[in-house]
Amino acid sequence: MLRYAATRILFLALGLLVASALIFWALRILPGDVAQMIAGTEGTPAQVERIRADLGLDRPLAVQYAEWIGGVFTGDLGTSMLTGASVAAQLAAKAQVTIPLGAFSLLIALAFALPLGVVSAVRHRSRTGAAIGVVSQLLAAVPVVWAGLMLVVLFAVVLGWLPAQGFPRTGWQNPADAIRALILPSITIGIVEGAMLMRFVRSATLQALGEDFVRTGAAKGLTRTQSLVRHGLPAVGLSVITVLGIQIAGIIVGAVVIEQVFTLPGIGRMLVTDVGARDLTMVQGELLVLTGFVLVTGFVVDLAHHAIDPRQREHR
Amino acid sequence: MSALARLWRIPLGRSALIVVAVIAATALVSLFWTPFDPRRADAYSAWAPPGWPHLLGTDGTGRDILSLIMAGARITVTVAIGAGLVATVIGVALAALGALTARPVRESVAVFVDILIAFPVLLIAMMIAAVWGGSLWVVIWSVGVGYGVNIARVARIELRRVNRADFVLAAQASGLTRSQILTRHLLPNAAPVFIVQLSWSMAAAVLAEAGLSYLGFGAPVTQPSWGLLLSEVQDYITVHPTSVLWPGIAITLTVLALNLLGDALREATDPTLSRGRRAQTHTPEVIA
Amino acid sequence: MAQSPSLRLAAAAGLAAGALVLAGCSGSAAPTEPAGSPDADATLNVGLVLEPTNLDIRHTSGAALEQALIENVYEGLVARAEDGGVEPALASEWQVSDDGRVYTFTLQDGVTFHDGSDFTADDVVASLDETRSDDSTIGYADLQVIESVTATDDATVEVTLTEANQNFLFTLTGPAGVILDSDDDTDLATSANGTGPFSLASWNQGDSVTLERNDAYWGESAGVQEVVLSYIPEATALVGAGLDGSLDVLTGVESDLAPQLEGMFEVTEGETTDKFILAFNEQAEPLDDIRVREALRLAIDHDAILERVGAGEKLFGPIPPLDPGYEDLEGTVSYDPERARELLDEAGASDLTLTMTVSNTYPTYFSTLLVSMFDDIGITLEVEPVEFSTWLNDVYANRDYELSFVNHVEPRDFVSWTNPDYYYALADDDAFAEVQSLYAEAMRETDPEASAGLLAEAARVVADQHPADWLFTRSDVVAIAPGVENFPVASTSTRLDVADVTVTR
Repeated sequence: MLRYAATRILFLALGLLVASALIFWALRILPGDVAQMIAGTEGTPAQVERIRADLGLDRPLAVQYAEWIGGVFTGDLGTSMLTGASVAAQLAAKAQVTIPLGAFSLLIALAFALPLGVVSAVRHRSRTGAAIGVVSQLLAAVPVVWAGLMLVVLFAVVLGWLPAQGFPRTGWQNPADAIRALILPSITIGIVEGAMLMRFVRSATLQALGEDFVRTGAAKGLTRTQSLVRHGLPAVGLSVITVLGIQIAGIIVGAVVIEQVFTLPGIGRMLVTDVGARDLTMVQGELLVLTGFVLVTGFVVDLAHHAIDPRQREHR
Repeated sequence: MSALARLWRIPLGRSALIVVAVIAATALVSLFWTPFDPRRADAYSAWAPPGWPHLLGTDGTGRDILSLIMAGARITVTVAIGAGLVATVIGVALAALGALTARPVRESVAVFVDILIAFPVLLIAMMIAAVWGGSLWVVIWSVGVGYGVNIARVARIELRRVNRADFVLAAQASGLTRSQILTRHLLPNAAPVFIVQLSWSMAAAVLAEAGLSYLGFGAPVTQPSWGLLLSEVQDYITVHPTSVLWPGIAITLTVLALNLLGDALREATDPTLSRGRRAQTHTPEVIA
Repeated sequence: MAQSPSLRLAAAAGLAAGALVLAGCSGSAAPTEPAGSPDADATLNVGLVLEPTNLDIRHTSGAALEQALIENVYEGLVARAEDGGVEPALASEWQVSDDGRVYTFTLQDGVTFHDGSDFTADDVVASLDETRSDDSTIGYADLQVIESVTATDDATVEVTLTEANQNFLFTLTGPAGVILDSDDDTDLATSANGTGPFSLASWNQGDSVTLERNDAYWGESAGVQEVVLSYIPEATALVGAGLDGSLDVLTGVESDLAPQLEGMFEVTEGETTDKFILAFNEQAEPLDDIRVREALRLAIDHDAILERVGAGEKLFGPIPPLDPGYEDLEGTVSYDPERARELLDEAGASDLTLTMTVSNTYPTYFSTLLVSMFDDIGITLEVEPVEFSTWLNDVYANRDYELSFVNHVEPRDFVSWTNPDYYYALADDDAFAEVQSLYAEAMRETDPEASAGLLAEAARVVADQHPADWLFTRSDVVAIAPGVENFPVASTSTRLDVADVTVTR
């Protein structure tokens, strides 16, 4: 176990390094000039040069990269080139929206996928099972953008129950309002992700149904349901953990799009805006945090999987 | 009986194939004819409801929605085929490398693939778009690479499985080189798996194009991508809620058909699947 | 049948009364005003669409920063009136010499900066001298016309120009004229120390700027205790915030969505100096041919564009109605696709493909409409939406474009047509020289009317060269909640003077 953990840590570190390097170098080839943007339409070349020097953009790339990486270890991701605000502080502020959004989405996805997945597998020959299968196929084919827009049309425009867009300016000071603003977005991501997860749970359950231990349980006198619960579900649980990493990656990706649909001031939307504004330090920090999160999640999931079921030699 | 005939026998497979064919045909037809010129704007007929002569109504600038959807099929088809091909080529190449070379090479390829898999495709696409600007090529290449590594993993397992079959051992004994074995025996026998993966990656490509075009990193503004249409009507859904229906339905239908086609292809090309396993359907990698 | 006069009078009165009652009960959109008196401790919540990128008033240009801070937090010797004119601010009055070269400003007394230090003539001298000598400050170019600035006494400042300049006073209403404390070391990027009726309380980047009433203000106290400027770039979210009651005033409302606000808000349309310009790069073939440029203009149906835009007016020249020198040049070009095709044939330029570079902050319907209109004359328009920063770099700085679509919001910016390096500068040397000389003469002219006449002439020369098409000038849609008084409705994209606003709940 320890050796496995060590290998995975190495992979994680390697992955993070490769990610940071790729992100940094790729962004420096950007067309467009941040200094010119700050100077604005009335900016003269002299003003632009002054700003460029102030931001340290005239130093060699390797030096800038080293400085950035060094800063990452102390929690300093640099400051925005456009506004001077601290990247880390901005990320922390926007995370207030993205993390709860991700968490709610995951909960909804699990609550949606687990029961439905198991039921549709157990009854896969019946009409219920088939119906659930069809619905999940349909939901998995829906682009997350459209799902969000349709929910907005239904719940905000037609019914008027929930806000169409936005997040309260006062943040979490009024938790009720904040949660209200996150309901539709989390449901959107949760259901689309849940549809995919549900089909995985269904597969895993079907596999469990055909496995030895269910028959063993039957031989022991347990009903199919009882043996499924006692022996099969842990195996299903293991499979779910396997795919959890992918699910979380999917939720992050979904969040980037959904924050745009619902104009939530989260990390995803900030990323889209900053990419457009060529705010290099912000984009670097955001991409690193998001990718790092995915890599770390994958690492944790791998360890959990390995710890729970050391029989699995083939990773994933 | 051939795989295609078997596919036709499966009800869902039949329907899926028909839908995919219709969409491809629409794309083709739109090159020659659409009810209206999809680029023709008429500010005085903006936001017309479905009826005559605009069967699905018009958008905010008076363009005919039906014509836009038909023309949009072109982009969908292009991206699906492009990304699917790129993914398959990359996947097969990486898998072949991984399955057939010496241990050190194989291991490093495996590590390389493992690292790349962790990068969410959308983030890759945004990074590329940030550097070179958004375009359909960004979508095709980021989905191609992102899904390609997935296919590589699946394909590597398949190739190894085929590698152990008797006829391969016989071929090795008769002195064929590794690459000859690869091209004459392994790839053709693993082909069904690749074709199934191709269908699924095309579905993923369509979803990715919708998401990326919506964010502004995909199709150019002058081309009527379905995802782009969604972003154009978004500002007005509070006053024109039905405008989001049509592009969304088009995308969902296409993705559904391609996913179901993949599922059916799997069933059709591998009749040895147990009933239980046959009921298992594909869980696609998340793209957008 | 004759009626007694009293009966007829009564009938008339009855009718009139009935009419009044009906008018009062009309189901039209006017919401009822709350009764009561203004609340001096109220917070005014304003929704805007464009946020400043940086608070540094000396080094960051852009309307968003001026809109938020000038006249509210920072002041100059003079301020801008809603109709585009000039009114007193830190200077209570001023005199101009007959030759137009010497301006003598009498300063207000009892003025202090937000940090408590006194405002004196020396601060004025220091600010103006600093701006005109440091080429990295905004306004440097505008103040080159100054020969010297002196404080003749504690309350008087004399500015001598190298020659008369009709725009000089107006320039002082902008960032060039902002007066800062001479020995201040405030970090302008994140805070502000001005003399205005409000002080800068905080900037929550990506969200809002909060202003607080300055109780030590030299003039009339602001009507509200706090002003929160919330930046909501998405049209639907902005309207949503208005509908859920979190905003008292909304500016920059999208016309399509404005009807949703009627009933809850008073929806107004105010003139601005926003000029939506489709510029043609005369240095890029085949746009160097005036026939091609004229053809492009003839292909544009301005009425259709306004139909889509909603709030605005047609504009056919570089000077908008609010600026001096405005003349309605509608006769210079019309909507005539056939004539456009003829001209293109003549010029041997049929079946062109041209690329339009447009900042993606504008709605996409402009691109869609132009693509369709140019299709009609055989020109394929490619659209390249870019980030504003890329537009600045490619189009503005490097003149690397064919067609460019952008909104110039600055008032009195005709001077850009006299700059040979400007991204849309005229290529015809004679016309350019004529524009330059007419403009210089207009500036030297001391009589405002004569000056305006010269400007109008210069504008006509520019328009006849067809260097661009002026698609329209925008009217800003401002929605005001009942109980909010004195909120500005015109020129709101560049100035938002909220000192006189009162709120009655």
